[in-house]
Amino acid sequence: MSSTQHSPINGWPCGTLPLNVVIGANSLITGELAFKRFHSQLEKALVIGAHCTMDGVHFDLGKDGRLVVGDYCYFTNAVLLCELEVRVGNYVVIGWNTTITDTDFHPLGPAERIADAMACSPLGKGRPRPKVLTKPVIIEDNVWIGPNATILKGVCIGAGAFVEAGSLVTRDVPARARVLGNPAQVIGEVS
Amino acid sequence: MSAGRKLSWDWFAGTIPENVIVDETAYIETTFSFQFFRSIRPGGVAYGRGASTYLGTMFDVGPQGRVTLGDYALVHGARIICDAEVSIGDYALISWNVVLMDTYRVPLNSHERRKELELVPTRLLRMACADVPARPIRIERNVWIGFDVCVLPGVTIGEGSIVGARSVVTTNVPPFTIVAGNPARIIRKLEPRTTLPHAPT
Ligand SMILES: CC(C)(COP(=O)(O)OP(=O)(O)OC[C@H]1O[C@@H](n2cnc3c(N)ncnc32)[C@H](O)[C@@H]1OP(=O)(O)O)[C@@H](O)C(=O)NCCC(=O)NCCS
Repeated sequence: MSSTQHSPINGWPCGTLPLNVVIGANSLITGELAFKRFHSQLEKALVIGAHCTMDGVHFDLGKDGRLVVGDYCYFTNAVLLCELEVRVGNYVVIGWNTTITDTDFHPLGPAERIADAMACSPLGKGRPRPKVLTKPVIIEDNVWIGPNATILKGVCIGAGAFVEAGSLVTRDVPARARVLGNPAQVIGEVS
Repeated sequence: MSAGRKLSWDWFAGTIPENVIVDETAYIETTFSFQFFRSIRPGGVAYGRGASTYLGTMFDVGPQGRVTLGDYALVHGARIICDAEVSIGDYALISWNVVLMDTYRVPLNSHERRKELELVPTRLLRMACADVPARPIRIERNVWIGFDVCVLPGVTIGEGSIVGARSVVTTNVPPFTIVAGNPARIIRKLEPRTTLPHAPT
């Protein structure tokens, strides 16, 4: 696997990047915890474009998770939970303490959830976990996502949309829309 | 006097308080979770079979508080603020950054609250602990609470129900129901479960 040569100021100064992370020119990842829960075994599991700043971001990728980020993105302290696929375009801002997830982590059905509780328990060693719904999350170019926002599975945020602070997004957001609230509602257009 | 129960894998140099009951099959990631535990009640926290608590879980339990964790209950990182009773049923799944509070710890009246706040800095353990009514929280079995959720005093969440991420639960939730939002509202019903699966041996 080849990854771009880093100049001293880019890459991840806190440690050695996992081999399946590809980071573009002049992009920087900070924070000790960036890869604490990075478990993806895919080739090129995490691809970050050029000129990005990933400040204190948690890249929590499951075994089969893939995350692609474009160029000139600026994320601060975001938690990115990815069991399947999250795709982010160019010039995207993600604010403090925002969580993006492409999975619910547990099944919805009560009986399946009991099986999952047992599989996840200290007595569940090796028990297979039931299937959990995962749906890719797509964030298009020029999107702004404020602090304390939450983006749940299957959501597509259209180009240029503006997700206000604290919004919890469960439905697709049209391009250039402005959304707010929990659950988020469209409150207008970006001027 | 016993030396106190330590956990061999613990990064925090603490012990499990004497009145905490831990089933031999339960798992506690760290005793840091008991840093604010002050209960003097027998079984101030009780862990059922296969129950587990992970980093981020804090038992902020007052002298008369009591928390029970049912069999296979999984608490991924909740702050449990308890002056009366918080019960978490079998197979419950509680996610990270959840707050379960059975009390506000300070008076609602702002004059009274000022008095309490003036007392906080005089205490060794700098905590608010006004004598305000606490109302028990009941999380029934098979409930799932998503991340960043807050459950307010007096709330019962019925068997098998789901609370969506970042919700604030202000009133009771019926069984086998999905609720979400701030304040949490009913989203839809779930198919009730009829049987319980076999436990692992
Ligand atoms: C509650 C949850 C499991 C429901 O999933 P679902 O059944 O697939 O829900 P849907 O996406 O079909 O949404 C159904 C409705 O509920 C609303 N909704 C769903 N989750 C919501 C949430 N967390 N807050 C507010 N509203 C929510 C949706 O807006 C939608 O309303 P609409 O039809 O009026 O647009 C899911 O939304 C959720 O919160 N997942 C995160 C779980 C979690 O915290 N996991 C982590 C750790 S254990």
